[in-house]
Amino acid sequence: MYSGLVSMALVAMLVVVFLYALHRRTAVAARLIVSLPFQSGWIPNEHALSRFHVRWYLASLVFLAFDVEMLFMYPWAVVVLEKGASAVAEMFLFLGALLVAVLWAWREGAFRWV
Amino acid sequence: MPEAVVMTVPGYWAVLAAVLLGGLAVFAAALDAGLSDRAQGLGGGWGAPLAGTARLLRQRRRTTVAADAVLWRVGNAGMLMGALLMVAVVPLGWWALADLDVGVVWFNAVDVMVWALVWLAGWGANSTHSLVGGYRFLAHGLAYELPLMFALVAPAIAAGSLSVGDVVAAQEGLWFVVWMPVAFVVFLVGVTGFSVWGPSAPALGADIAGGVLSELSGVDRLVFLAGRYAFLAAGAAFSVPLFLGGGAGPVLPGWAWSLVKTAAVLGVLVWLRRKLPALRPDRFMEIGWVVMLPAALLQDLVVALIVVGKA
Amino acid sequence: MGLTDALARYALRATHVLVVEVPGEWRTRVGLEQQMLRRGWRPAWTPADADVLAVCGIPGPALAENVGQLWEQMPGPRVRADIGSLSHVSSALDDAATLLLDTPHHRADAQNRPERPQLPEPHGQSDDDGMDHGGHGHHGEHQSADHSDMGHGGHDGMDHGGHGGIDMAPEGIPLATGGQDRDGLEMDVLHLPWGPVLPFWPAGLVLRCALQGDVVVEAGASVIDDAHHHGPGEGHPAQAPWAAVRCDNAMALLALAGAEDVAVRARRARDALLDGNGDAARDAVTRLHRAVRRSRLLRWSLRGVLPLTASDLEDHGLPMSCLGDAHDRLVSLVERVRAQVHDRGPMNPSGTGAVVWDELPHLMTGLELATVRLAVASLDLDPLPGAREVARA
Repeated sequence: MYSGLVSMALVAMLVVVFLYALHRRTAVAARLIVSLPFQSGWIPNEHALSRFHVRWYLASLVFLAFDVEMLFMYPWAVVVLEKGASAVAEMFLFLGALLVAVLWAWREGAFRWV
Repeated sequence: MPEAVVMTVPGYWAVLAAVLLGGLAVFAAALDAGLSDRAQGLGGGWGAPLAGTARLLRQRRRTTVAADAVLWRVGNAGMLMGALLMVAVVPLGWWALADLDVGVVWFNAVDVMVWALVWLAGWGANSTHSLVGGYRFLAHGLAYELPLMFALVAPAIAAGSLSVGDVVAAQEGLWFVVWMPVAFVVFLVGVTGFSVWGPSAPALGADIAGGVLSELSGVDRLVFLAGRYAFLAAGAAFSVPLFLGGGAGPVLPGWAWSLVKTAAVLGVLVWLRRKLPALRPDRFMEIGWVVMLPAALLQDLVVALIVVGKA
Repeated sequence: MGLTDALARYALRATHVLVVEVPGEWRTRVGLEQQMLRRGWRPAWTPADADVLAVCGIPGPALAENVGQLWEQMPGPRVRADIGSLSHVSSALDDAATLLLDTPHHRADAQNRPERPQLPEPHGQSDDDGMDHGGHGHHGEHQSADHSDMGHGGHDGMDHGGHGGIDMAPEGIPLATGGQDRDGLEMDVLHLPWGPVLPFWPAGLVLRCALQGDVVVEAGASVIDDAHHHGPGEGHPAQAPWAAVRCDNAMALLALAGAEDVAVRARRARDALLDGNGDAARDAVTRLHRAVRRSRLLRWSLRGVLPLTASDLEDHGLPMSCLGDAHDRLVSLVERVRAQVHDRGPMNPSGTGAVVWDELPHLMTGLELATVRLAVASLDLDPLPGAREVARA
């Protein structure tokens, strides 16, 4: 069953290796050139790699809560037919509670960051 | 549980799958270039992607001062590899390379991998434009990913299975797109999201000089761009078994219908790029959480109620 | 080798050009864009993507420094095209095409150019708290002096670490340092200069932004080579049809908003106005107007970007055409153009040249990057008059 995935992974690697090998032959020079990053022609004041201020960190916390919920959603989707209406009610009460939290977070401005 | 209609083929067919995905990616690129030239009032343009490939093969590779080279290259090349891995679970007509029990989850796992890839490609270059682009993608991801996941669940509920083959089998007679239109639309928004395409491409925006793309040249740029088109094609291809009845259709054989439907969805996605402005991450965040997420949940509820009601 | 040549010839069809517009060379740049389009050549947004560096006009000393830096950042094969005036566009591009095909030349160039960027001596700035507005002219001179000192051949990049303290300045560039954000958190500040060479950016304007994340916490505006401008030359926007310049500015705003088809309409309207064919121009402007009015998503995307009330306009000395948000300004701009081509407006209304560029920093502080780009583009700046304004200030 997984042979398809394994062979596809091999093919994917071969494609990338082939392109890089081809490029070594076709490029005007195979060596890399080291360059300054583009800043409209100015020399950078500092390295760009830094502590980037992500202003949407609140949204990412809400996301994590919902993302963990997906762990339940997939298996639930498989058994919902067997378990019937009670499974639907339970899951959507749970989702409803999460959605209320989302609405609250929205009201608090968690999804706006500027 | 419906009888399996999808047959698993031996591993060496992966080569054909890769060729087909490559063909679809080239089709998307050529269509985009052709539409672009037509809008400009010029003829032709269809050949531009191939000429562009020749150009990038001739151009030297480049790195930046103190770049995080390993992570950067992983992000670049990973896009193309990710798209190929994604398409491994998409059946072509009635043949599948890998019909996993959890094919839908596999698709989801690969699309989440794009978060890492695009961010790494943005981070590694040690360039401010590129870094901002990488983080913009994450902000976008926060908004599109959850609705996409819930949209993926809707067909799974209806089929009672996470296997793509079972989802196709469950659509005999009535395609899911008919009674799950919201999930379908949300899914397509998600596809543009993980292929950093069209309205979902502020990570590569003109306002940050190409963002994640800004420091890429030569074959590095080529594999990133190819990966992007390949992801768009893979997403379009996955919408066919999920919502559009897989290989079902009159006259033509199943594999042909799969390709025709994929090309049609892909064509619409390419065409839309020119029509829609960019969804700026700071605005889209609210849309994703307050409009798309509840809509997708509601769709899941409706699907679950119909399924349980019929049983 | 036959194959190499074939590849080069095929690649030539998709050449990407990094366009540099010297302030005052608006018409040359537009002519270049028209020629490029006809050849299937496309603009590059960064030097990494560029095969040709096309310089429209003769840059002053500071801009020449920037152009030199960009040239060093191009991977190669690379060709520089200096386009003195509109009439030279075609021949300059022909020459560029010929040189692009010369593979041995590019191999030699790859052999002979320095492998690493030549950095100036670390200037010991652990950053002097933000933007020094005037000091950057000096900066440029320092760099050129350093360049000649170090010489270009046989330079070993590893030298650099020795100068500025290995830990604080790897490869000769300092690490980012922290600053308080508006909530009192300490976050790294990055400095990102915008302009003079940037896609969809007013020629010659330099906006130095200090960023925390993607929000501008401080900004300073200046004009490149502001002492070097002479009066309006033949390429100057004041000599070009007023409406065409407006359409060009609308195109920049639309392209930044990602609305490609509408941006293309603005481009076509601009070119039709320059051609002087009245009917075609009226038709193109009408189409542009309709597209702008109709697109709801465009409205959604531009709504609320830099809203200015009448009293804001007075405070910042801005013209009435800047009233409202970016979408209002876009609509008003397109409507004024339409009125003019239908002979209902003044024949040569003054541009919004009075938008003083030193007002920009006050307007931009606290905005997110994408918003800053849209806001600048929406102000419909007229390049050179603004430059003089700043020079006088």
